[in-house]
Amino acid sequence: MKNLSSLIESIVYRNLDPGARDWLTAKAASVREETGGTQLALAFTAMPRKTGKKDPGITEAEQQEAERDCKGLYIKDWTLDRLARVWLLMQADPADKNAYLKKIENLFSAAEMNELVALYSALPVLAYPEEWRGRCAEGIRSNIGIVLDAIIHRNPYPAEWLEEPAWNQLVMKAFFTDKDIRQISGLEKRANKALSAILSDYARERQAAGRSVKPELREIEKLGGGGQ
Amino acid sequence: MCCNHSSEKETADHNIVPADLRSIRGMSFFDPHVHMTSRTTDDYQAMADAGIVALIEPAFWLGQPRTGLDSFRDYYSSLIGWERFRSSQFGIKHYCTIGLNSREANNERLAEQVMEILPLFINKEGVVGVGEIGFDDQTPAEDRYYRLQLELAKEAELPVQIHTPHRDKKKGTQRSMDIAIEHGLDPYRVIVDHNNEETVKEVLDRGFWAAFTIYPFTKMGNERMVEIVRQYGTERIMVNSAADWGISDPLAVPKTAALMKERGLSDEDIRMVTYRNAITAFAQSGQIDEADFETVKQIDQSGRFEGNSILRGGQQPRIDKSSIIIS
Ligand SMILES: [Zn+2]
Ligand SMILES: [Zn+2]
Repeated sequence: MKNLSSLIESIVYRNLDPGARDWLTAKAASVREETGGTQLALAFTAMPRKTGKKDPGITEAEQQEAERDCKGLYIKDWTLDRLARVWLLMQADPADKNAYLKKIENLFSAAEMNELVALYSALPVLAYPEEWRGRCAEGIRSNIGIVLDAIIHRNPYPAEWLEEPAWNQLVMKAFFTDKDIRQISGLEKRANKALSAILSDYARERQAAGRSVKPELREIEKLGGGGQ
Repeated sequence: MCCNHSSEKETADHNIVPADLRSIRGMSFFDPHVHMTSRTTDDYQAMADAGIVALIEPAFWLGQPRTGLDSFRDYYSSLIGWERFRSSQFGIKHYCTIGLNSREANNERLAEQVMEILPLFINKEGVVGVGEIGFDDQTPAEDRYYRLQLELAKEAELPVQIHTPHRDKKKGTQRSMDIAIEHGLDPYRVIVDHNNEETVKEVLDRGFWAAFTIYPFTKMGNERMVEIVRQYGTERIMVNSAADWGISDPLAVPKTAALMKERGLSDEDIRMVTYRNAITAFAQSGQIDEADFETVKQIDQSGRFEGNSILRGGQQPRIDKSSIIIS
């Protein structure tokens, strides 16, 4: 992750004007030092005002490097503020576990839409990954499209850490909300019998209502050992 | 927060004539005060159809008093989260102002706690001011929290959206302005809302923005609004609906534009009071980019929604209201 942090840092910094660079450097320093979460919350919130929201122009080589360091991480379509927010989260000192968990939780509880996108995008790089299962499951219940996208599309965290029921919920939600199923990380690895059964039921329900069934559904159904 | 419906209501006995908005087709509108939390998706659809491209939802009183801090936190979160998303589904850019309303300022135990969480919210993306704040009954508690929030706005360099009281309005409005000046706010960064014929002159003379709420029975009617613009011109004047959970009209801004057109006001004047001035005033927050009015329509396309939804597969499905078949 050390490597990933410097990679993202270099991408972010080359996109900033000198004023924003100084601001971010100063903020990151105070985020590394603080035990409470005030500096983190202020800088995290203010980020788009300082960085703007442009496409940071991540190269294919950089994307591959990111993926080597954090398997399955896909940063190539992130905006600059999203990238910078994730980087800032990586600067928080995890040594004091309770303090660390509390400051990240506080960000979640007062987050606006784009902040939620950044927070869920950061799940694979946060410390104590096992502690974010509940948050991730809650995110899957969100009805805000871009928030759901951040969890469902090309995010390696769910497949890596979610318990089976939450994982199955994610896949179902992806079908319900018409997401691009092929962009879910770890579909094959996490295929299971229960999911196959849920999907079969769902397919029957749609057919009964005269609605179409996605071909991907049949594939996952088979992977889990079900299907007709 | 808008209207107190306990006052005598005029019984509407006119013929119900459906509004004809054809004359303003193609014009864009900005409603700088509307409580969408209390409105339905049909309202959003109608607003988008009538040309409303962006709006501001001020934080207000929900009708039912809140009893705990978390209710406030969740309400503020919904203004920057869920409601913003809901609006984007219809291609309408949603901004908000965040503040502790005057009514609930009277619950001092709670108000004190709310003041502590406000700084967490006012710097969020798309928060274009502190509001709506000001006086209701003009109690000492209202005075205290109004002042504290003016200080907060000053520190955050945000505009202020002032709710003026229904009762003792003229004095309440004067007092709101006096206090804003006393705290060193620039009147050009303060929008005084719910004006009428009695308050407008002083508000404009002192350099504040004057907003008018077109709200049936209890506030301004739009015929009176036409006369206001005839008399005072368009500088620092804006129109809003303040539509909420009361009998109100989320199309008040485009309807007023249509009436102005019918009564012979120029397109340029109409544009100033139904679009441009509100943007100029609230863009002082640094949070309004007109280019976003266009991009919100694209974000739409990927922002899909659950189940039997508003939006699927990138198109905006419409219900055929003339059909009894629902599929
Ligand atoms: Zn009001
Ligand atoms: Zn209001």
